[in-house]
Amino acid sequence: MPAIEVNGLTKRFGPVVAVDDLSFAVPAGRVTGFLGPNGAGKTTTLRMLLGLVHATSGSATFDGTPYQDLPDPLRRVGAVLEATSFHPGRRAIHHLRMVAMGAGLPLGRAEEVLDLVGLGDVARRRVGGFSLGMRQRLELATALLGDPQVLILDEPANGLDPQGILWLRTFLRHQAASGRAVLVSSHLLSEMEETVDEVVILAAGRLVMQTTLAGLAARAGRHGGMRVRSPEADRLVDVLAGAGAMARRVDAEHVVVDGATPEWLGPILAHHQIVCYGLAEERGSLEDVFLSLTSGDGGGPGSIGHPG
Amino acid sequence: MIRLVRAEWLKLRTTAVPWVLAIIAVVLDALFILTVFLTKPNVGGVRDTSAGYIVPHTVTQLRDLVGAGFETYLLAMLLGALCITTEFRHKTVTTSFLVVPRRATFVTVKLVTAAVAGIGLAVGVLVATVIGGGAALAARGGSFTAMLHQVPAVAPGMLLVFALFAILGVGVGSLLTNQVAAITALLGWFVVAQNILIGLVHGALKWVPSGAAEAAANLSVRNGGGGGIVGFELFTWWQGALLLLGYGVAFAAVGWAVMTRRDIT
Repeated sequence: MPAIEVNGLTKRFGPVVAVDDLSFAVPAGRVTGFLGPNGAGKTTTLRMLLGLVHATSGSATFDGTPYQDLPDPLRRVGAVLEATSFHPGRRAIHHLRMVAMGAGLPLGRAEEVLDLVGLGDVARRRVGGFSLGMRQRLELATALLGDPQVLILDEPANGLDPQGILWLRTFLRHQAASGRAVLVSSHLLSEMEETVDEVVILAAGRLVMQTTLAGLAARAGRHGGMRVRSPEADRLVDVLAGAGAMARRVDAEHVVVDGATPEWLGPILAHHQIVCYGLAEERGSLEDVFLSLTSGDGGGPGSIGHPG
Repeated sequence: MIRLVRAEWLKLRTTAVPWVLAIIAVVLDALFILTVFLTKPNVGGVRDTSAGYIVPHTVTQLRDLVGAGFETYLLAMLLGALCITTEFRHKTVTTSFLVVPRRATFVTVKLVTAAVAGIGLAVGVLVATVIGGGAALAARGGSFTAMLHQVPAVAPGMLLVFALFAILGVGVGSLLTNQVAAITALLGWFVVAQNILIGLVHGALKWVPSGAAEAAANLSVRNGGGGGIVGFELFTWWQGALLLLGYGVAFAAVGWAVMTRRDIT
């Protein structure tokens, strides 16, 4: 059974359908990226998962149980949400102790999680003086109090510096490697590319696709073409056209061959004795696929023609 | 439930709110004590307005002294309202609902915690009054012991009223989660609207929260002595207490229903 299961989840705010019949599953032991442009319904979905926003219809469960019915929610699910805040006058350690006490967790966990996220030195400082990055870490510390099996993070990279993002990436990978389910939302695939195993892509409240990162890469056509630099560009285009490839001149010296692999192209260049100054793979970026998937036309680099 | 109430109390005491309210209560208490020393008894229905102080010595005057800080129950009410509206103002309610996903439980915990904190405030005010008022009394040649003897007559009613007003505050706060709106509505009622109502409608006093508070505290010896606020009729103490509880529960019930349906976005 998946750690998180979302079934036909729908949310209407008056006439606006924020989330529309959304279904997906989040497995344990993997980092699942929850991706979509701003306004796609990611935050609303995550808040419905956690019982903060009431679904118009459909269900969201953790091992079959809705969040509101979990006997010890913080021991099962840890959440880092956007737009959550802290009382500015409260000290970091008091915030954590208050949550731990309410959740029936040992108070000593407060110090442990502060050290874990690197805030041990500022435990007794008031949260009002924290930077955005420190608040994100304190949010994460709060989520980790109950050592939960499921982690849900809404745009956690916001406000983190590059070291912070690297730290978070390593941390989330480690969490998944130890068997936890991690669901992390982002509007930037590039930010998540190194972190996630699976992607759930959302646009305009609807599921676009759920696939593995490898599946998305295949769709991007990672081996989708070659770029050749040659002083004989014209002859090269003719030769390739004769071999059935889609080749086009980009400028005086550059030719792009759609769908070609180096193994296919190299022998042809050798056979026709074409002088070649450079040979490079054309990499369709995941971000391009993501953008084309979420912009609504469903096409993109994955649909380019292949040589016969 | 006890665990949640303890966590709620930790939540409350790690902000400045209860301490600032307690300090305001003590300052107001000092001023109320002063007025007891300056209020002359009525003689033949005519208030003596001459200058100078009195030394409280009658049962009525001594009870007035012990209960001098009674009207700071409005601060217990503000405490109740703040403990719920602060969560919305600083958006800490998200975390609170993650810890306690059942909204009904959330409101109940607030009601219980606020009632206990209200009782704490009443005890604080009483202690401050006994120390401050007692010292002033002794300095003016009055009997501190005689004052102490009136504490058991005054204290229970005060604790009850403070707890009930804290509950009323939570009730209003759970309905009006916007802090400015809640505080404005509460102060607007108690400072202005209630007085207009009493002035316009005969017999309204016994029904409004302040009248119910006077009845519940059973301090009708105050305000000039002899059977209630002069010229006005009040309920008996338990009727007043029930009425106050009713107001608090009514607001909390509506707030609870609204809270259960509220989306926290």
